[in-house]
Order: sequence, then C-alpha cells, then structure tokens
Amino acid sequence: MDFNRLVGLRTHPSWRLLQADSAPLIISFLYQSFILTNKRSIAAETLATQLDDYLHHLRETTGENRFPRKGRDYLNDWASGEQGYLRKYYPAAGMGDEPLFDLTPSTEKVIEWINTFEQKQFVGTESRLLTVFRLLSEVARDTETDPQQRIDRLEREKAKLEQEIASLKSGHMVPHDPTRVKEKFLQAEDTARQLLSDFRQVEENFRHLDRGVRERITTASSGKGKMLDDIFSEQDAITESDQGRSFKAFWSWLMSRASQDELQTTLEKVLALPEIQSLQHDELLSRIRFRLLEAGEKVNSTCAQLVEQLRRYLDDQAWLENRRIMEIVREIEQSAVTVRQSPPPDKLFTTLSLNKPAMEMPMSRGLFRPATRPVISETPEEGEADFDTTALYTQHYVDERALLARIRFALQSRQQISLAELVKLHPVEKGLSEVVAYLHIASESDHALVHSDSSEEIIWHDAQGRQKEAVMPVVIFTR
Amino acid sequence: MNTNTQSEHSASDDPALGTVVVNLMKGVVYRDLNPDVWQQLEELHARVIDYVAVMGLNLIVDEAEGYAYLKQVSDEERSVPKLIARRPLSFPISLLCVLLRKKMVEQDAGGGEARLILTREQIVEMMRVFLPDRANEARLFDQIDTYINKVSEFGFLKKLNTNPPAWEVRRIIKALVDADWLADFNEKLKVYRDHAESVA
Repeated sequence: MDFNRLVGLRTHPSWRLLQADSAPLIISFLYQSFILTNKRSIAAETLATQLDDYLHHLRETTGENRFPRKGRDYLNDWASGEQGYLRKYYPAAGMGDEPLFDLTPSTEKVIEWINTFEQKQFVGTESRLLTVFRLLSEVARDTETDPQQRIDRLEREKAKLEQEIASLKSGHMVPHDPTRVKEKFLQAEDTARQLLSDFRQVEENFRHLDRGVRERITTASSGKGKMLDDIFSEQDAITESDQGRSFKAFWSWLMSRASQDELQTTLEKVLALPEIQSLQHDELLSRIRFRLLEAGEKVNSTCAQLVEQLRRYLDDQAWLENRRIMEIVREIEQSAVTVRQSPPPDKLFTTLSLNKPAMEMPMSRGLFRPATRPVISETPEEGEADFDTTALYTQHYVDERALLARIRFALQSRQQISLAELVKLHPVEKGLSEVVAYLHIASESDHALVHSDSSEEIIWHDAQGRQKEAVMPVVIFTR
Repeated sequence: MNTNTQSEHSASDDPALGTVVVNLMKGVVYRDLNPDVWQQLEELHARVIDYVAVMGLNLIVDEAEGYAYLKQVSDEERSVPKLIARRPLSFPISLLCVLLRKKMVEQDAGGGEARLILTREQIVEMMRVFLPDRANEARLFDQIDTYINKVSEFGFLKKLNTNPPAWEVRRIIKALVDADWLADFNEKLKVYRDHAESVA
C-alpha cells in the first residue's frame, strides 16, 4: 500500500469504474444483468435492448435526462480499451457472428465489494476462526512426515469420536446452537458467492497464461531443437498449471454423480432447518449446483478453446513462417511509405492464385425475362368471425429446445434415461402437448429409442392440480 | 450414404463424392462452417485427390486450421489447361492483403480471441498511412470500401451481420498470402521504389 503504487493503481479498471461519473448506472445495470441472473455472456443486441429499457426506466423515475445516449453506445464505450468494464468478444465461428459481452474480473470485483456494504444480519467471528484453525491444522497434518506423530493424532481423534458415540448411546444428546448454525450457513453462502465471482478471474488467468506462453514462443531466440523442446513442454502449460489442475479437480468433483447427489441432499436438509428458514437469505445456495455448472462450463470451454488455439499455433510451426512474414512485412511497409505520394499506377501490380477454380458456363446463365409485377385489382373483403377465437390464444407453445436441454442435462450424469424418469426430474408443465413433443424429439433423434411393444405410464398435473396420465410406448433417450 | 468402401464404382454413382467436389470447386470448405461436407471430405480424402488430379488440381487440407481448398498443380510437364487463374491485383489491394496478413500474425502471437474481426474504421486506419494524402475524407472511405469488397471476393474477408459493419479475416489468407508471395511482392515494390527515386 505504498503511495506510488496507489497512484499507479488509479488507472486500474476497478478504480476507474468507481470514479466514473456514471458509476451508479454502470454498476447497477451490470449487477442486474450479469450477477443477479448469473449470466456468463450476453449477446450485444440483447444487452443493448436491456440497457435501453433500463435507461428509459431511470428517466421515468428520476424525471431527468441524464443519460441521453443510446444503450449500444454506452456498451461500446464500457467495453473500449480505455474503460475496460466489459469484455466484448466474438463467439467461435459457426456459433454466430454477433459479438457477446461479459464482465471483466475487475468490474466483478467492484460489484462484489460494493455488495459487502449491505448491512449484514450479523458477522460471525467464531466460525471464521474455526475455519482458519481447521485449515491450518489440515496443512500441518498433510505435511507431517513423522508416522508416529500421525498415529498419535489419529489416536486422539479416535478417542474423541468414541467418547461422542458413547455419550450418544447413553442418551445424552447435545442440542445444537442456533446461532452457530446461522453463522456457519451465512459463511457458506458468502464463500459460495465468492466462488461464483472467482470464475471470471479464473477464466482471465487462463487467458493470461495463454498470452504468456505465446509471448515466450515469439520472443525465444534459441535454436530449433531447443525451441521444439520448449514448445512440447509448453503444450500442457495451461492444463498443468496450478490453476488448471485446481480447476480440473473442481470440475471432476462437480461432474461426479455421487458428489452432486450429496450436495443436493445436504442442501435440502440444511435449507429445511428452522434456523435457516428464519434467516433472510437469497436463493443463491439452493441453486448453487446449477450456477456452478453454468459458470464452470464457460471456463471449461474457454480453456479447451485456448488449448486448441495454442496447439494450432504450435502445430504447423507457424511461428517460423510468422517471423519471416513479419520481417518481410516490415520491409514492405517501409517501401510503401516511401512511395506513398506516387504509388505504382498499374492495375496489375501482383497476381494471386485464388482457391477457387474459375468456371463459367455460358449456357447456364438465364435468359432475359421482363420482371412481372403482381397487381392486386380486387379489394379484399373483411370476413366475419363466426367461431370462438379463444382457441387461438390458449394454445400452448412447447419449446423443443428447452426439452432438449433437459434431456442433455439429465444425460450428463447417466448413459440413458427413460421418459418416465425424465418427467419425474422435470415435471411436465404444458400438458399432453409437452409429452407429445418429447415423443416427437425421440422419433427424430438418432439417440433415442421408442419401444412400441412395451408401454409405460407418464403422470403429470394440470394447471388445476388434477392428475393426468398417459400410457405410451417406452421412450428412452441415450447419449 | 456411400463411402470409400465402394471405390470401384464410378464417381457418378456416389452423391457424397459429388457433394465434396462441388463444394471445393465453389471455394474453401471450412470445418466449422460446413461440418457435414468436412466429414465427407475426410472419409473420401483419397478419392477426392484422385478425382481432382484429373483436372490438374491438388487438394490441400489444413487439419490444424480446419480448411480445405483446391490448388493448381504447378507442373509444367503436364499440359492440362489451367482451371485456377492467377488474379491480377492492383497495388492498394495487394497492400491490403499484406496488412491483413500482418494482423493475422499479430493476432496469433497475442493469443486469446479465436477470430480476427476488424471494423471499417480499423481497416481505414490501417490503410491510411500508405495512401496518398487526400483532402476528401469521404472519397478515401469509398475507395477503401471498394478494396474491401474486392478482398471479400477472394474470400479473405467475410462481412458480418453486425452494426456497425465489421469484417472477419478468414484464416485461408494464411495459405494464399504466404511468405513466398510476400517476398515476391517485396522485391517488386523495391524495384519500383528504386525506379521512382532515380526518376525523381
């Protein structure tokens, strides 16, 4: 915290954001769009529309016109190099051309920090102290090399456990302390929130690693053999870093069926406790499993993409060619600047062999045909409605993509799932049409079986809570 | 769908081979944009090579970058007429190709983003240094637009459906604007520069 360092820090995006005139607008809007909804990326157009709505709302409520510009302009400003509050990037080819926005880790930090200003119900100090103590003793335990010491410690733990079992058997039950329960729960919630906000930093760190590796490759001046050696050892630099390994361990824990179930049961049990119910807490923990999955998925795909790009970068020894290209380009640029005022006039300065065979068959061209313009001479008559139009408005729209997403999600942890099991996990919401939609998906998909010779019963409840049943062929979705 | 197990059949029997060849004749085939054709191409790799060889063409597949295209066989011995013509380029258009290629190198060296995307302003800024001074800004813009269109025709730039307009530099530029081509261009430009200086 030395003076000069703090002066330098004032150019840090987080500090700049806090100083910005429109900081309340930026922070409140980004909190609402990204943090509250746990979105990892939002398409540019969608976010611009959201911001326009938000600005409109602000003008209505404050009666001022403090933010006169269009949402899109603000977003581009916020994502520009000088501001850097948002990251603007393009999805991989084939995933669309529309740019996406995501928070930068520094913006997320600001939001997180401001969030801590909210008055806490109470700040638990005991559980924090215990956590510190537990972590330290775990480190000490794991690094202990003397077997006798370890045995002694385990013996002590064993004695303590036996004592506890004995006291329980004798009917002596120690009631739990509600304060301590609340304290621990709030701490868990805090940690979960931080964990989620750390993901952007994790992603950023991966990107940083990637840049570092590339820099070293481009600036390396060692011989070819040494270079190849370096490159092969760097290939795993991202996945083998501390960051990479820790994330891999996290991901495999999260993806394991057993730990997912355990987390879910524990959560349900804890959330049902009367002490917790009396706490004013948000929905965060009850949905933590999905939020972690979403956030982890994004990091995972970024990491995979970076490794793939890095591999490609190393693959064809592009760096050798790249270096030669940069040398030539520098010379070209010098010459081009020299002849700037009198550039070569000829139309044919160079030639380039393109990638496309030139074929033109004169006979395949269409002959001239005058364009016909349809002329509507009759005036259409307005018809009379003699039927009940409500039928048009009460139809259910079943989003097959949502159903597909459910199927995919269910198959993450198992090889196959029957329709009956699936509707137990995700109750039917749109009635029979939804069940039919599942059947439609199954009949179109290569990863689904329809057993017409055996049948199963699908049960759901309609809007009035009446139970409905359908007996239909067994449908099984597979990976 | 037929696969290479039926290679004894004539080409006209195999719709998959036809699909692949026609797609290649129409231009570059990208793995990410056209995964179905790419897959067929992988299956029929050997047959496609044989088939296009008849026309004096060579199949180039870049697995790492994920694209495939046809190249004229530069064999003087064989007297197959050339199917792929060498396109003449004016000086500014050649220069734009050089600058785009340079951007691609910088992008690869920098890491991070998978796609190289430039806005019109960025392209104008990039070119401006090398174009003669003009009082008329609007004319400069128009001129650069025509260059951009030309280079898009070559498949090096792809206009994106964004607002404001932006172009993606396609990776195929790496295959065609290579170090040899650049060296050649560099030599030509040096000759011109020396000539211009001697006249001045």
